[in-house]
Amino acid sequence: MTIRLEDLTVNFDERFQLDNISWQIEDSQHWVITGANGSGKSALAAVLAGAGQQLSGHLSGVPARVGLVSFEAQAELIEAELKKDDADIMDVVSEGTPVREVLLNGETDPALVHELVGKFGLENLLDRAFRKLSTGESRKMMLIRALASNPDLLVLDEPFDGLDVDTLAMLQGYLASLVDTVPMVMVLNRFDEFPGFITHIAYVDKGRLEHQVARADETAYGELYKLLHLKTTDLQVPGADPETAIPVLDPSQPLVKLNGINIKYDDKAIIKDLHWTIERNQHWQLSGPNGSGKTGLLSLITGDHPQCYVNDIFVFGFKRGSGESIWQIKQFIGYVSTALQWEYRVGTGLRNVIISGFYDSIGLYSKCTDRQRQIADQWLALLGMSDRADQPFNKLSYGDQRLLLIARAMVKHPPLLILDEPCLGLDDMNRQLVLALIEKICASSETSVLYVNHHPEDQISGIDNYLELDKR
Amino acid sequence: MSNNYFNTLPLREQLEQLAKCRFMDISEFPDGVEALKGKKIVVIGCGAQGLAQGMNLRDSGCDVSYTLRAAAIAEKRQSWKNATENGFTVGTYEELIPTADVVLNLTPDKQHTAVVNAVMPLMKQDACLSYSHGFNIVEEGMKIRDDLTVIMVAPKCPGSEVRNEYVRGFGVPTLIAVHEDNDPKGEGLALAKAYAVGTGGHKAGVLMSSFIAEVKSDLMGEQTILCGMLQTGSLLCFDKMVEEGIDPGYASKLIQFGWETVTEALKYGGVTNMLDRLSNPAKIKAFDLAEELKVIMRPLYNKHQDDIINGTFSRVMMEDWANDDKNLLGWRAETAETAFEKTPAGDVEITEQEYFDKGILMVAMVKAGVELAFETMTAAGIIADSAYYESLHETPLIANTIARKKLYEMNATISDTAEYGCYLYNHACLPLLADFMKDIKTDVIGKGLELSDSGVDNARLIEVNAALRAHPVEAIGSTLRGHMADMKKIV
Ligand SMILES: NC(=O)c1ccc[n+]([C@@H]2O[C@H](COP(=O)([O-])OP(=O)(O)OC[C@H]3O[C@@H](n4cnc5c(N)ncnc54)[C@H](OP(=O)(O)O)[C@@H]3O)[C@@H](O)[C@H]2O)c1
Repeated sequence: MTIRLEDLTVNFDERFQLDNISWQIEDSQHWVITGANGSGKSALAAVLAGAGQQLSGHLSGVPARVGLVSFEAQAELIEAELKKDDADIMDVVSEGTPVREVLLNGETDPALVHELVGKFGLENLLDRAFRKLSTGESRKMMLIRALASNPDLLVLDEPFDGLDVDTLAMLQGYLASLVDTVPMVMVLNRFDEFPGFITHIAYVDKGRLEHQVARADETAYGELYKLLHLKTTDLQVPGADPETAIPVLDPSQPLVKLNGINIKYDDKAIIKDLHWTIERNQHWQLSGPNGSGKTGLLSLITGDHPQCYVNDIFVFGFKRGSGESIWQIKQFIGYVSTALQWEYRVGTGLRNVIISGFYDSIGLYSKCTDRQRQIADQWLALLGMSDRADQPFNKLSYGDQRLLLIARAMVKHPPLLILDEPCLGLDDMNRQLVLALIEKICASSETSVLYVNHHPEDQISGIDNYLELDKR
Repeated sequence: MSNNYFNTLPLREQLEQLAKCRFMDISEFPDGVEALKGKKIVVIGCGAQGLAQGMNLRDSGCDVSYTLRAAAIAEKRQSWKNATENGFTVGTYEELIPTADVVLNLTPDKQHTAVVNAVMPLMKQDACLSYSHGFNIVEEGMKIRDDLTVIMVAPKCPGSEVRNEYVRGFGVPTLIAVHEDNDPKGEGLALAKAYAVGTGGHKAGVLMSSFIAEVKSDLMGEQTILCGMLQTGSLLCFDKMVEEGIDPGYASKLIQFGWETVTEALKYGGVTNMLDRLSNPAKIKAFDLAEELKVIMRPLYNKHQDDIINGTFSRVMMEDWANDDKNLLGWRAETAETAFEKTPAGDVEITEQEYFDKGILMVAMVKAGVELAFETMTAAGIIADSAYYESLHETPLIANTIARKKLYEMNATISDTAEYGCYLYNHACLPLLADFMKDIKTDVIGKGLELSDSGVDNARLIEVNAALRAHPVEAIGSTLRGHMADMKKIV
């Protein structure tokens, strides 16, 4: 029978809420629910076992016998055991319920219990009190009980946690033997632990079921992998390279100061008499409709616009047109845009693309240092692309290219990072990936971010200065 | 009438100048643009090279402005727009030349005598005059005031590439030279080096050469393999395909985009790589055709080189200049009327590999042309590095222009001098290949080999592979390409 969640909102003790979940589990399917810590993945699994208070929507098709293994269920059982203890104080010291009794509770198949106890090698614990077991041991008992209870649905929250290699292999093999018997839903955090028989993945973020991906869809599966990686990795944004340090700027000076600037094409003014100052450590959002001159304005700052020589522009200590070269300006700027991505049609490897950020070049034309290589490799690890360091950039998907160009822009830790519509042209999953990366960057560096977009939903936390251009 | 400078030199000197060519390592440019700092650069002309070089120099921190002939300013011609829209100061010769420390003459070669005669009296004492092609000095024997320093900085790419590569943080291979008769203060080399840095050339490789070697090799490359061979090949291959019943739209497309696609392979791995893109039987076929073509065309390549070296080419061309370009304009009109030029590319899908498989003859023509041009130039005493840039390196760049708008675009992009030489070559080469073309069938142009069995004789394949790799253009090519660490994809 199909399990259906239709626009279901479930509350958990006011602490947490799953919002508007729509999901369908067919008999023949085996799902993994995944997501970052606190995303609500365990809650979603627990809903299948009846947890939470349904506020709206529908839940149907959940079978009567659900085998549930989770930390919460484990904790509840142990707590119940301890309570029994309290109730029994009298005169005898209670030993608590022995494992044997917990396992053979009338709902389980005794023969199967014994077989599984054997497989897990726990025979010597059968007579011990359940509450005396270690966490790992009691968890295995929970697994045995769930598996032997002849369930119509198995809900296993992190079932592989803390298992040694042999036991893990045994359990994975055993679960694989059940694929035609019972549908399974597992909560797992690591892609490399996903059993081969899994057919679908559900990705939960902030209490919402954000993505449902069929395993067979390799592209989507790959993207989900990276998203999960970025959201859950402990890896931080790699540091700057002390050997390729950017010159120190005078802290009393703004990064950028535009004094009444104008941009004209064929006598048509696109930007008129604009004044704008970007101070150090300020984050800015620049918005405005197409044709309002956003990109023109940015290219005055980056030095890519020829009219930067006929305007009063002060950037990174240079008055433009006073004998400075654009490379002296560009060293202070990291830049990402769709135009750059189109420009960047090189067949060079991913590592080199990141390293090219140290040289502000499209393609790598200089011999890099070992240190730069190392830093580039750390970025690849952060992006979950370590295994592809030498693959050609132009063969990457559009979204992966964007991620890589952001890493390239940031690799030198520039004082100013310009992100010109970084999510333009990306699908939802890739948008979230890019935003996740940008947030990680914002949180862990001293770079001022200048973020350009016209999609209000693509907000980046931490930006508090706004410049809006009008259409001319 | 002009006086051919090269011909005034004794043989010993001629040979020495022709053989002048040294690849400069990037470490030889530690001073960057320092020698140009504080100097006022005035560019004459704002066309393809003028605009690109000026923008690069300005972005490198130099002080650049433009001077145009009075009519161009008054009529707000394209050159005036190019300069003003990009925020440059523009002025007349009288206004700007007297203020200039360095004058870059980037007008068409044909105008150089008139332009230089007009600006020279206005130039400051001890200033510098620079060219991007040495024709005026070498072939016309222009005499420059003794106090002026005369240098050349010649990017080996069209202007658009000069700019694009700079913006990418790279540059294009560039040839620099000092006119030894005009280096009164011995600062010519320092200025030329700084100028090459300012345009980004030092990152892609600078050849320290001479005016003479530059002119004699540049002329040879452009009229033979680069433009002449591609034009002749286009016309012959198209007519053959149509004659054999292939759809003209398909034939037109196969040629228009075929040159670009097959020569793209040259950029990555030279002639060897281009032939490696073919199946084994097709490779052997292309090799054999190229050998045959080389035997037939070698006398023509020798003649072009001889005429260039002894000055016949420039003398005849200048006679045409004096005759209101009668030949040039006639040939240009004739080209516009060819069947290939008039047949638009059909709306058919041709995959990248198909251009190779069905264009075996085109591959053979490129191979024969590149190797012959290289062999002829080096036999005339031109150093391999220079011969490589003037043949193999530039072929894909010219092929690009054909992809844009066929022969019209190619001839419009290249200089008048190149165009003139291209037509000369074309007129001699078409009849020369008439017999050869009689035996050509669609298996090598238009349809491909269509073999059910692509087996080949091992010994023959080994022989062909070895011969390909042993050609001297491949050795110098792999060295020079090694300097250009990264290759971008243009197709
Ligand atoms: N194209 C290449 O691939 C290439 C590569 C390397 C070196 N070069 C060399 O670079 C130089 C310039 O070539 P180019 O291709 O850039 O030429 P171009 O695009 O034809 O531009 C020539 C410029 O000179 C101006 N001009 C024409 N006749 C003039 C005259 N009588 N007096 C003053 N100005 C005149 C033109 O402007 P107005 O007509 O509006 O006045 C135009 O701005 C040549 O020496 C050429 O050999 C070219």
